[in-house]
Amino acid sequence: MSAAPQVPLVALRGLTVAYGDDALALSAIDLDIRAGERLALIGESGSGKSTLALAVAGLLPASAKSAGTIVWGGAPPLGGRDIGFVFQNPAGSLDPVMAVGRQVAEVARTHLGLSWTDALARARDLFGRVGLPDPDTLVHAYPHQLSGGQKQRVTIAAAIAARPKLLIADEATSALDTIVQAEIVALIRRLVAEDGMTLLFVSHDIALAAELADRIAVLRNGKLLELGSTRQVIGRPQDPYTQSLVVAHISLDSPPLFAATTDIPVNG
Amino acid sequence: MAEHLLTVDGLAKRFRRGDSTVAAAEAISFHIDAAETLALAGPSGSGKSTVARLLLRLIEPDAGSVTFEGENWLALEGAPLRTHRAKMQMVFQDPLAAFNPRATVARVLDDPLRIHRIAPRAERPRRIAGLLERVGLSTDLAGRAVHEVSGGQRQRVAIARAIATKPSLIVLDEAVSALDVSVRGKILELLADLQRTDGIAYLFISHDLGLVRVFAHRVAILDGGRLAEQGDARAVIDAPQSAVGKALVAATPKLHGFTGQDAS
Ligand SMILES: Nc1ncnc2c1ncn2[C@@H]1O[C@H](COP(=O)(O)OP(=O)(O)OP(=O)(O)O)[C@@H](O)[C@H]1O
Ligand SMILES: Nc1ncnc2c1ncn2[C@@H]1O[C@H](COP(=O)(O)OP(=O)(O)OP(=O)(O)O)[C@@H](O)[C@H]1O
Ligand SMILES: [Mg+2]
Ligand SMILES: [Mg+2]
Repeated sequence: MSAAPQVPLVALRGLTVAYGDDALALSAIDLDIRAGERLALIGESGSGKSTLALAVAGLLPASAKSAGTIVWGGAPPLGGRDIGFVFQNPAGSLDPVMAVGRQVAEVARTHLGLSWTDALARARDLFGRVGLPDPDTLVHAYPHQLSGGQKQRVTIAAAIAARPKLLIADEATSALDTIVQAEIVALIRRLVAEDGMTLLFVSHDIALAAELADRIAVLRNGKLLELGSTRQVIGRPQDPYTQSLVVAHISLDSPPLFAATTDIPVNG
Repeated sequence: MAEHLLTVDGLAKRFRRGDSTVAAAEAISFHIDAAETLALAGPSGSGKSTVARLLLRLIEPDAGSVTFEGENWLALEGAPLRTHRAKMQMVFQDPLAAFNPRATVARVLDDPLRIHRIAPRAERPRRIAGLLERVGLSTDLAGRAVHEVSGGQRQRVAIARAIATKPSLIVLDEAVSALDVSVRGKILELLADLQRTDGIAYLFISHDLGLVRVFAHRVAILDGGRLAEQGDARAVIDAPQSAVGKALVAATPKLHGFTGQDAS
């Protein structure tokens, strides 16, 4: 990626969020999201990843109290138009009783001011772009008629329908099997490149984050522990917690757990 | 020929969907020996959970036979089935779904001891403490409601319940998939440890081939309800022969290339 100094798309300064009287969900986060980068946010369950993503998108629930600042490089974004959001559970973000094409067209109509006819045509184009088979037919389908992976493609189509500058994917592939996950990650990578979008990719899977991101931010207990290029964070993690995440990752070359008790020879 | 702990032969199950049917499992054959782990891998919808539910007699097959501990497993009914059920236990992805969330940890562990008459009432608190200790939980947890413990602790409770009846086989259906990596590693180590000490066999269901490769001795890969290939876990994953096996390996996220550990 270009190393030229750039105005961040959005700068978080001292961002602090609390839900009710509980411990801080985020505490004094300083983080720049650079225009055009793919930034991954990793950390264990409850570390504050979704809270950060929601705060950036202006989607925190009313019950959340926040302090600090979120400064945008350009004009302040319009939620839904300038920021596309993809959630973990595609079923939950689709209306079960509305044809999926209409749901995508609705976004284009609202934010781009298109007529229904043009918005539906855009939905059909988007279905093609996100790799849904037979877009002309599928725009008329209802969510229950689609597989989990197909539903996630529809929510991605809806998220990019208004040509957002920033795409936020919060565990967008966690509910999918490995093969479909790889397809969706490849799709997100392609769309971000084609449209020049900035990506905030939230995941608990360090290897998945490493495959997609230029930079990785590590959260724990609401604090930003480490931030750096993917190569630095994975290859030379500075924080002991990040080191433990790299070590604990089980991959295709990890040693078996039962080696001591079986006679199966170890390869390589 | 030596008798296997579990032998599955030609298992088949179709489900109705609208006015057609789906073959969720077709001509499934495999075996598991004592103290052995066989993984069932495959994409979503390939039939992994269907095979698990057939083995556990939660659903009945259309065809095929199952021999477990020398018994014609599918023919068992009534009291003999209940007796033998103690020997085949299960742990699912979300144990909350299997427990009454308001029940205490002690209650969850008391149930199998009582139902299977493992221990008289007076002895059960001591047994429960022993089970909690086996799975690395503090006995202080006994009085807590299941929804008041963390996901990792809850999965340990599910394992404690599964081993309460001294099973010879435990079916693990995505049992570690929802856990954070650090917790996941510890749970897998606990399971491997129980296998070493108690000789328990596992049917380990997962679509994560990284996990399968470290945890299972052998793997069977399913695709569309059929067995695509099976064999030594590391041999199959290092050089898959079937299209679905190759796709699963290619899709598994990899850290190397960044860690500098790929010296080979
Ligand atoms: N709506 C809410 N009301 C109250 N507490 C909340 C709410 N949402 C999150 N929290 C709490 O804030 C903390 C951070 O949660 P958050 O959802 O941001 O974590 P996460 O890193 O996204 O976790 P996960 O990987 O499980 O999705 C947690 O302690 C969580 O319980
Ligand atoms: N009760 C049921 N009624 C109808 N169809 C079913 C039923 N249970 C499973 N199926 C179908 O059988 C096939 C196999 O499903 P199964 O749940 O065994 O897959 P799986 O490999 O466990 O998938 P996953 O990884 O998503 O858990 C799927 O097509 C599924 O839709
Ligand atoms: Mg989250
Ligand atoms: Mg399943």
